[in-house]
Parts: sequence; C-alpha cells; structure tokens
Amino acid sequence: MRLTQSFLSNISVRNVSKSTTVHAVLLAYTVIALFPILIVIVNSFKDRKGIFRDPLALPTSDTFSMVGFEQVLLRSDFGLFAWNSIIVTVLAVGLVLLLGAMAAWALTEYRFRTNLLITFLFAMGIMIPIRLGTVSILRLMVELNLVNTLTSLVLVYIAQGLPLAVYILSEFVRTIPKELVEAARCDAVSEYRIFFSIILPLLKPAMATVAVFTMIPIWNDLWFPLILAPSEETRTITLGVQQFVGQYVTNWTSVLAALTMAIVPVLILYTIFSRQLIRGLTSGAVK
Amino acid sequence: MSSSIQPEEKKPFPWHLIVFLGPGLLIYVTFSVYPLLDTLILSLYQEQSGESYFVGLENFVTLVTDENWSSAFWNALSNNFQFFAFHMLLQNPIGLILAVLLSSPKLRLAGTYRTLIFMPTMLSVVIIGFVWQLILSPIWGISEEFLYNIGLGQFFDAWLGKEGSALVTLSFISVWQFVGIPMMLIYATLLNIPDDIIDASTVDGANAFQTFLYIKLPLILPTIAMVSILTFVANFNAFELIYAVKGALAGPNFSTDLLGTFFYRTFFGFQLQQGSSTMGAAVATLMFLIILVGVMLFLFFVQRRIQRFQF
Amino acid sequence: MANLQLKNVQKRFGNVDVLHGIDLDIKDGEFVVLIGESGCGKSTLLRLLSGLEEISEGDLIIDDQRVNTAPPAKRGVAMVFQSYALYPHMNVYKNMAFGLKIAGQDKAFVKSKVTDAAKKLKIDHLLERLPRELSGGQRQRVAIGRAIVREPKVFLFDEPLSNLDASLRVQTRVELGKLHQELKATVIYVTHDQTEAMTLGDKIVVMNKGRIEQVGAPLELYHHPKTQFVAGFIGSPKMNFLSGKIHLQGTESTQVMLESGRIIVASVDSSHLHQGQTVTIGLRPEHFSRQCVDNILVGQVSLVEHLGEVSYLYMDLNGEGELVTKVDGDNDHRAGDELSFGIDPRKVYVFDEQGAALDRVKLQ
Repeated sequence: MRLTQSFLSNISVRNVSKSTTVHAVLLAYTVIALFPILIVIVNSFKDRKGIFRDPLALPTSDTFSMVGFEQVLLRSDFGLFAWNSIIVTVLAVGLVLLLGAMAAWALTEYRFRTNLLITFLFAMGIMIPIRLGTVSILRLMVELNLVNTLTSLVLVYIAQGLPLAVYILSEFVRTIPKELVEAARCDAVSEYRIFFSIILPLLKPAMATVAVFTMIPIWNDLWFPLILAPSEETRTITLGVQQFVGQYVTNWTSVLAALTMAIVPVLILYTIFSRQLIRGLTSGAVK
Repeated sequence: MSSSIQPEEKKPFPWHLIVFLGPGLLIYVTFSVYPLLDTLILSLYQEQSGESYFVGLENFVTLVTDENWSSAFWNALSNNFQFFAFHMLLQNPIGLILAVLLSSPKLRLAGTYRTLIFMPTMLSVVIIGFVWQLILSPIWGISEEFLYNIGLGQFFDAWLGKEGSALVTLSFISVWQFVGIPMMLIYATLLNIPDDIIDASTVDGANAFQTFLYIKLPLILPTIAMVSILTFVANFNAFELIYAVKGALAGPNFSTDLLGTFFYRTFFGFQLQQGSSTMGAAVATLMFLIILVGVMLFLFFVQRRIQRFQF
Repeated sequence: MANLQLKNVQKRFGNVDVLHGIDLDIKDGEFVVLIGESGCGKSTLLRLLSGLEEISEGDLIIDDQRVNTAPPAKRGVAMVFQSYALYPHMNVYKNMAFGLKIAGQDKAFVKSKVTDAAKKLKIDHLLERLPRELSGGQRQRVAIGRAIVREPKVFLFDEPLSNLDASLRVQTRVELGKLHQELKATVIYVTHDQTEAMTLGDKIVVMNKGRIEQVGAPLELYHHPKTQFVAGFIGSPKMNFLSGKIHLQGTESTQVMLESGRIIVASVDSSHLHQGQTVTIGLRPEHFSRQCVDNILVGQVSLVEHLGEVSYLYMDLNGEGELVTKVDGDNDHRAGDELSFGIDPRKVYVFDEQGAALDRVKLQ
C-alpha cells in the first residue's frame, strides 16, 4: 500500500513539474516577445539621462519626461500621418470588403464562360506579391496623375487585398444554403436585393476576418507609401516614423517617443480585436 | 396554333454580373494583373533618351553576367536563400514547439500566452526593425548589459554593424517577429485534431512522445508545408526590415542585401548609378520567376502528396 | 480474459462529483452493458476503466492487480470509440497495426495478427484504404479490428453503434453478439439504447446521476426493477406511472387508492408502509388486457399508433391521468373510442416515495 502511494504521489509530482515546465517555457518566450517593445515604451517616458543611466528602470519622478513626444509633435506632423493612414486603411478595407463580397458572390453563384479564368486570376494574386509590378504601377500612377495622392495607395491596396478576400468570402458563400436564394428567386426578388439584403448580412462574420487580414498589411506597409506617396502631405504613419527616425537617429528621446506613438495605438487595437483576429486565424478560414 | 403559348422571352443580358464583378475585377486587373504583365514585358526592353526598344533577354544576361551587376545580383540572391533557410530552421521549429506547448490539455492562461506571443507579428516590420536597432545598439548598451549579467558579456558585439553577423542578426529579428504565424496556424490544426484520436493512441499504448511523432506530427505536416510556402514568398519579397535598419544600401558592404532591396536600388538608383525601370523590371521578373517556381514546386510535389485530413 | 472489480470508485472533476462510489464485479467473459441517460457518468466510468481518466478514489482491480494508475496498454484494455477515432493519415492496415507496432512486436507477427482480425471482420479487402474512403459501417469494423488485434483482456465499447443508420445498427448489433461469443472476451459496453442493452448484455448496469441503480440480467431488470428509475428505463413504451396512496397495506396484497378514488390491487408487500402514505404504481403497457376483470381502468383513446404487429393506444383516464397500452395490431380502435382495460394484480408495480420498489409476491 505504501508502495502504491509513493507511486501515486510520484505521478502527481511529475504532472505538476511537467505543467510547470510548460508554463516556464511559455512565460520565457512571452518575455522574449514583449521585452524589446516594453523597453522602448518605458524609456520613451524618460529624459536622456534616465534612458542611458538605467534603461531597465521605470520612469521615476526624477527621470520622467515627455520631452520626446513634444519634440516629435513639434518637428513632424504626426497627427496628419496618422490621419492619412486611417483614411487609406478605412477606404481600402471598406472597398475590399464590398467589392470582394460582390465578386465572391458572382464567382460562386453564377455560371458564365470566363468564371474559371477569373477565379484563377484572383487565386494567383494570393501567392504572387503585387510589389513585383511596382515599376509599372508607378508608371501608371504617373500617367493617371495620381502620384503623391492617397487615392493611389487606396487603389493599390484594394488590388492587393482583393484576392484573399475573394477566396475567403467564396469559401463562406458556399456554406450558405441554396434554399435561401432559391426561395427569394421564386418570389421574384431582384439579384441585387438578394445580394444586399440576404447574402451580405450573412457574410458579416467572414467579412470581419477578412477586414483584419486586409487591414494589418495596409497599415504596416512601407513600400507603396515610400514609392507612390512620399510627400509630406500624404505620408502614412509607417513612412512618417521611418523618415523621422532616419532624420533624428541620434535624438534618442524623440526616436523612442516616435516608435511608442506608432506602437501603442496598434497594441490597443490588437488587444481589443485579438479575439476576432485569432478566431479568424484558427477557424480555418485561411487554409 | 394556339395563341396561349407565347414565345419564351429572351434571357436578358446579365447586367447584375457586370455590376457585381466589374468594379473589383477592374481595379484588380488595372493595378495588379496588368502592372505585373507589363513589368514582365518591360524587362525585355531598354530605354534611352525617352525611346524604348526591344532587346530580348539582354537585361537578364546583363544581370547574371555583367561585372557591374552580376556580383550584386548573386549576392542578393544568395543572401535571400540564407535568409529563407534561417527562417525555415528557426521560425517553424520554434513555432511548432510553442504551438505544442500551448495546446497542452488543461493549460491555464493559454489564451493570454497566445495573444502576447503573437503581438510582435502585428506591428510594422519597420517599427520592429527600429526597436531592435535600439536594443542591440552598443551606444545604449541594453543587450551588452544583459549579456554581462548572465556571464556572456564577452560575446557582445555590434552585430548589426559587422559584415559577418548583420544578415544573421536581421534574420533573428525577422524570425522573432513572425514566429507567431506558424505558432498560430499549427496551434489551430492541433486544436482541430479530435480528442478521441489522441485517446485512441493512448489506449493503443503510445506515450506522449509517440503520440506526437506518429499521430500529431503527420496531421500537422500540411500546415507546416503551407507555412513554409508563405514564408518563402514573404522572404523573397522582403524589403522593409533591411531598408529600415540598414537603408537601401543594405550594408555593411551589401552583406544584408536581399532581392527586395536590390530591386529598389536598381529601380530608383543609388549613389552614382542611375535608376533604370527596365532593369528594375528585369529584377522583378526574376523575383517573380523564383516565387512562381517555389509555389509550383510546392503545389506539385508537396501539396499533392500530403492530403488534408478530414476528421 | 479477466475478472474486473471496482471498489468504491469515485471521480471528481474539480469540485464536481461525477461518480459517487461505484462497486461492481465483472466476471471473465461477461458482456456487461452500462446504460443510463446522457450525463449519468457511464462514459466517465468507461474512461476510468480505460485509464484515460484518473480515478479520484477507490480501487480498480483487474485479475487481482490494482491498476488504478497503470497506463491503458498495461491494463490490457482496448477501446472502441463512438466516433471510431481512426487515425486519418493511416490506412486500415496501419490503423490496426499501430498498437502492436508501439508495443514493439515484430513485423511478421503484426502482419499475421492484422490479417487474421481483418478476415474475421471481413475487411481484408480494405487494408490499403484510408479511413475517409470507407463507409460508416466499414470504419466501425476497423475500429473493432484495431481493438481485437491487441488481444486485450477487456474490450471497452463507447456507444459504438450510435453513428450508424438504423438498419446497419441492427445488423452490427447481431454481429457484435456473435463476435463476443467467438472471442469469449470480457466486454464493457456503454449505450443509452435499451434494445442494445437487452439484446447484448449478460449483465446490465443501470446508472443514474453517478450511481448504480441496479445490476442484473436483462430479464431480471425487466421483471424485478428495484427502483422506479430502472422500471421506467427498461421497457418500451415506457412503464405508466400513476400516483396514489396506500389504502390497505398487507404482506401479500396491497390496495392503492388513486386520486380519483379508484382502488388498484397489487400483489406486493407493503407491510412496512402505513395507510395514507403516498406511492406510485407502475403499469407496463404490454400488461393491460381487455379480458382481465381485475383493476379495471376506463378511458378514452386520444391517439392510436399502428405499428403493424402491435398498436399503442394513448388513453385519457377521465381525470385519473394518461397511459399507454399495447394491444394486438389486429384491431380497429380509433381516437375517441371509450375502452376499458384490466391488469393482473401480480403485474402491478408499486414504488414508495423514495422510488424504491415494493417487493413483489413471488409468482408461482
């Protein structure tokens, strides 16, 4: 009996230590993942002395300083950059969702001769990065007189986001029961009303997933802002920060403040929407 | 002839099809398909004083053989392969381990770990590049101090500034940022494996490791394959990280040059060399071919053999 | 082949008691069916036996060995899952061979085992197929085959037929019965289907809310349910229950007064109860008779279900409640007909307020 008891306690000890190991590894990696970001945020609230004397310390009454943020706001038009990013992202994501849903619906619901070709064309765009066409995109934008406009970015981002949106939304459209649409057709409802009042509302959950997937690369992009709209008035936040840091690279307080201003809003949004995002990633919508 | 039977109405032209598909297709074709094809064609031309003329494959020959171009091209290509290899060797295994740990049964705080570890993936590559530049900076000395504290101080170096270590360091940074993607996708696949199958394997006598090796691993292979191809495309298209940390010149001495930065320099020019859109198009075309071949190899050799499993 | 003993086996998930102390003896070669409603703990009990869940308290003994903490394979148990749980990436052969391969058996041995089992189950032509290329019935056989090849001491079945369609279920049920006779193995079989329980089990264990209500042979449970729960669970259609009060107690005969004042006589021992105490009487639909003159109940037919061989009449007893009777299929009753039925006092069950059955006087 004693033997079996010690055997028993052994087992539970082993289980406990196993789960402790799992937690230790995950915690360690979490620290690795967050440490650099936290360091930057913490130090952006210090003065120069505080930054260098003890980088790991939290700001104290002695070292606390917002001078970095003041400098960033003084020397660059951060508010405008953020506004530009918001406009571009919202417009592009909104149009990707609308146009993507309409295209996905058309490609899955209707039979026509070029259906397969168009489906294939969109599918190619999932794998082939749009960046490779940059030379011609720039030429095109020059011809259309769209260089240094937010419109050029919105157009390119729509083209960039559509393939994945069409793919995910098509998969979703296939799960909608045919009877719903057939019943509506029997009542002589127009194709437009069928789409806008029956299909579109049903696509909402999938559209949320698509929105998140489309939004992140647009918000974070440097390439197209750098090439298509680098002017002061049309700079997005990512480009703005890149230019600012490049210019004031030796001014540590400003650089840290600029990075923090770019990071914190994204982290707040991520914390709010992380559940949605992770559900999208793990739901198999992107297999 | 009974007049009650009327001739069938001619099917009306499907305007709704044009309305639904037209706008999206128009934008996609104009700003993605057409530029891509145009770039491929442009790579066969050269321009001189505003006139463009057809030169066949001359641009490509220049790229791979001309002494002014070829060393830079081959250097970028080889760096790019190293960059990719590094991701395959580190990013996927780490992601796999994290996913397996996260999916341990009855793990508390799994959601919190998952959310936090995925956080860097959400941020812009540019921002992440700058953050690490600061962290690794010998001027600030955070990394140096940290290494001294754990007794490895003598190994500290200005890694980002040295020719021998800059690319590896940048690869590390990129892996650090994107490890969340394989983790998340593999984790999702692991969660989708029904408990019954794992139980069956336990009843069959397999221990935790054997269950992983014989049951779980084969079932997540398709996901790993997919992550690999995503990584491949992303790596051969990478630009931002190098540009943010090392600039368009991808220093020191081009040791961190990737095809993305090479493409940028070729197109826009740098220092004394003039930018050339046709040579830029040629570089883009080569990148396109590399990615195409990679994706095709994946589709034909990997995807076809590894079937997805429905449970 | 093995004897199994459970002594006061308990299971807790956190603070929730799922099993409250199960005592059960299972003899070598017995086919034991665990039956109960969903959530009664029958599947949990099976998982404790398999070793997939840890026993919180009590002892599990297989062939005189306490195996509470032994891993599943060491206990000599094999399990067939409700979902079949076939490994989707392995073909049928590999699915069946997996356990032996893990145990380190040599290839020739594994091959002969798997081939034998496959022949026995008539799936030897499917060995190269993947699970997704099989029908439900074929998957089921593979799952059973996977259990057979390991020659376990105890087979555990977790609702193995519930994913099959009705006709296949009957056919597979018959085959399982034959297979058991052939293998002479100890089988523990979980189901919520009483037909499976009655037809397959040597012994049926009726479970309710984490406790064993009664253990017994199928007919014993049918004829002598110890509790109202068991009485209601075994038999189809369900036993009718009418509430009443003890009118006249006795050791051989008891009179129960229904709410309407009607007296029902039952051959049960109610000597330990007193007059006026609330009881429930139980009447099986198949025990009513139109010829019987005892315990006449009168009512109106509210619904007739013709099943061919028999018909079920749903009766409204003019304020005394409702009940179902089973009559010969050859009848022309219709809804609205007024009918009277009698029932033999020896076939009337009486349950006290706690749901325990009063002892029935032995039939001569």
